Amino acid sequence: MSWLERLFGNKVELTPQQAQRLAAWQSLPTPPQGLPMNECRFVVVDVESSGLNLSKDRLIAIGAVAVTNGEVQLNDSFEIVLQQARVSEKENILIHGIGGAAQREGVLPADALLTFLEYLGKDPLIAFHVAFDESMISRAMKTFLGLNFRHAWADLAYVAPALYPQLARQLRSLDDWMGVFKISNYARHNALADALATAELLLALRQKLASRGMTSFPGLKALERERRRQMQTL
Amino acid sequence: MAESVNSVIQATADHLAQYAPFDQMEREHLLWMAQKLTLGYFAKGEVILSPEQTENVRFFVIKQGVVQGDQGVSQTTEESTWLELHEGECFPLGALLASRPVTSTYRANSDVFCYVLPAEDFLQLTRLSEAFYDFCTRRIANLLEQSQHIIQAGYSKASAEQQSMRSNLSAIIRREPVSCSPASSIREALQMMQDHGVGAMIAVENGIPQGILTLHDVLSRVALAEIDLARPVIDIMSTNLTTLPPHAPAHEAALAMAKEGIRHVLVTDNRRLVGVVSEKDLFSLRRVGLSQISTTIRHAKTLASLKQSARDIQQLARNMLAQGVAAEQLTQIITTLNDLLTTRIIELELHDSPAQDIDFCWLALGSEGRFEQTLNTDQDNGIIFALKENEDPATLRDVLLPFAKRINLALAECGFPLCGGDVMASNPKWCLSLQEWQNTFDNWIYHGAPMDLLHSTIFFDFRPLYGAAHLGTKLREWLQTAAPKNSRFLHQLAVNALRNRPPLGMVRDFVTGKDHTIDLKMNGITPFVDAARIYSLAIGGSQTNTLQRLREIAAPLNISVRDIEAYCEAFLFIQLLRLRLHHAQNEKGETLSNRVDPDTLNNLDRRILKEAFRQARKLQTKLGLDYQV
Repeated sequence: MSWLERLFGNKVELTPQQAQRLAAWQSLPTPPQGLPMNECRFVVVDVESSGLNLSKDRLIAIGAVAVTNGEVQLNDSFEIVLQQARVSEKENILIHGIGGAAQREGVLPADALLTFLEYLGKDPLIAFHVAFDESMISRAMKTFLGLNFRHAWADLAYVAPALYPQLARQLRSLDDWMGVFKISNYARHNALADALATAELLLALRQKLASRGMTSFPGLKALERERRRQMQTL
Repeated sequence: MAESVNSVIQATADHLAQYAPFDQMEREHLLWMAQKLTLGYFAKGEVILSPEQTENVRFFVIKQGVVQGDQGVSQTTEESTWLELHEGECFPLGALLASRPVTSTYRANSDVFCYVLPAEDFLQLTRLSEAFYDFCTRRIANLLEQSQHIIQAGYSKASAEQQSMRSNLSAIIRREPVSCSPASSIREALQMMQDHGVGAMIAVENGIPQGILTLHDVLSRVALAEIDLARPVIDIMSTNLTTLPPHAPAHEAALAMAKEGIRHVLVTDNRRLVGVVSEKDLFSLRRVGLSQISTTIRHAKTLASLKQSARDIQQLARNMLAQGVAAEQLTQIITTLNDLLTTRIIELELHDSPAQDIDFCWLALGSEGRFEQTLNTDQDNGIIFALKENEDPATLRDVLLPFAKRINLALAECGFPLCGGDVMASNPKWCLSLQEWQNTFDNWIYHGAPMDLLHSTIFFDFRPLYGAAHLGTKLREWLQTAAPKNSRFLHQLAVNALRNRPPLGMVRDFVTGKDHTIDLKMNGITPFVDAARIYSLAIGGSQTNTLQRLREIAAPLNISVRDIEAYCEAFLFIQLLRLRLHHAQNEKGETLSNRVDPDTLNNLDRRILKEAFRQARKLQTKLGLDYQV
């Protein structure tokens, strides 16, 4: 990417077919907001990348599962590896386990992202530490689809501590919270497995959410804001 | 198909495949199932499924956590929890198969994640997968079968085979070798094989083997070759002989057979033929055979030789256990042989005894009366005798008691310990005339004092073992009419029986004592035995065996055959575990006990045991309802 392109906005060349798919997604209606978790669909997502640098590292894989009507629909799940021009470092491969060949043989990024959008629809996204997943996905959307991906996200890394303030002091990572609810993970640092574990965490929080009348997406966002305010005052 | 399935589906199938019945299912069906599943969460205390839910009953498999089932009908029993399910277990089955609401309330006992399958997919799966269908319809039977395979595999490797394979060939040879001269005609040789019932004929010259002809050879070398039967047999014999000395261990013979692909090995001492060992000799573990033991007992002249037979019975039981003979047959065989042994002891004692002139019957009581003896059985016996006119029972007792005492002592020498509670024929209280027995039983039924109830659990399982069986039959007939009449007595028996609960746990699978063990007899066997006895007495049944009692009560009490079979299977499984436990203790030279640490059982056995206890609990619940305990 040249400095000029970066300055004047990325002009991405999409095939007519890709453009059509993107347009179709963009024209999807936004589902009604404010429904309780038991009556709508959330998509819980996790990504793997070439590293932890938000501005430099590349998106390698997306994993996602849908929570529909309060249960994880195992078959409504998503897993894709984006084709990489450059294979990530060995240390990095050891974390997510997506090897060089798999990275080179991945799906062309534009197609991979379009497939993800089609899977997602316009339903809200949920992750643990949204900042990372959102930056990775948004930057890839911009780079490969020329899309300003402004989507509704809720962050369980803030929601969970808001519900369990006493536990929040010792618990930080997804692993910590999985431990509390004895959630197992069939392959930690596999995007789909981590998404499933995050979705299970969401289910485990449901009763507490319900007791505060917060099981809808706006409810989750309210709790997230509440926690962010607490953090600032601390 | 499998390629298009993502890692969540694969991982779910992998997880399911760790548990029965999913471990028996085709991968393809598991993947199909995984794609239909949703994953739900239930917080501690949350109701997962209840009888109130009449629509959309779904199938649950526990991914993580503990689910507890409560009997739907509100009951007065102190403990209503009767079922606890763990990771990998599934529910409900009956309700889904019959498209009806569940009868229990299933509640999360911790944080629970469940895989959930819609009813229509559940039914579709029973059609797709035979293994799954089998499991749903024959739950316990199915688990039992698997367990049985494991037992057989384990034992045949470990104890029994090793035991026989370590013995010397000289100990295995069972008869003089059947041999002929090399010059004998083929016809003569075949005739001898036929006459002696052997599978191999050896040609011997001056005691030294020259060739072998086996039944197997006859087909190709004689029949198909259409050879002249008048020719000398040596012409068609194998002369390349495999021989081993008498002191060679059996496994060497097995090895030789495997290596050379032969079925017979010749045993020679200084080149001279002393025996033939066949494949069958080596691999039939029933070396101490049933008929052999019973013949020996029947002809025994001394207590010493009966003591040897008693040891043989134990050995036979162990071998049969190792072969995976079912508990029902095994306990029956043990009982039959022990009966024979007791009979022979009585016969020997009766010789020269004044008791000869008395019309009496030796009664087997307790587990022996029920045909349920294991390797660890105390004596429980009594005598019933007939009175002639104007005879005083005390006079006859004076004759019978010393005689009974000698029998009790002889039985003790044969390995049946004297009864701690003195329930033995040598006790004047249990050496009674028919009329006295009836009075005693009548008293128990009428008063129902704690000791009376305890006694009835031992004595009401009586059966005639030796002598004037008609006396025992008369007493039984009397009891069959007397017991059903007194419902208060039956109620008291039920109260007593229900004090003893199967040790199913709330937090863990089992409630164990301080030593982390459960008593298989007390908590596992006794609930079935007690319930079967009470119901049998209530309907005026004549059986004493628990399984036969259960089968006998089905029709009069309108209990489904399915339920009865489930009780029987559960009972038999616990009995089998007990036998295996005793066997293991025996091998280690430990004192036999009924206590087992559930952690030492394999996963499958632990699950079946739980299921078996659940059946015991179910039977007890019925007993409680029927007798308003």
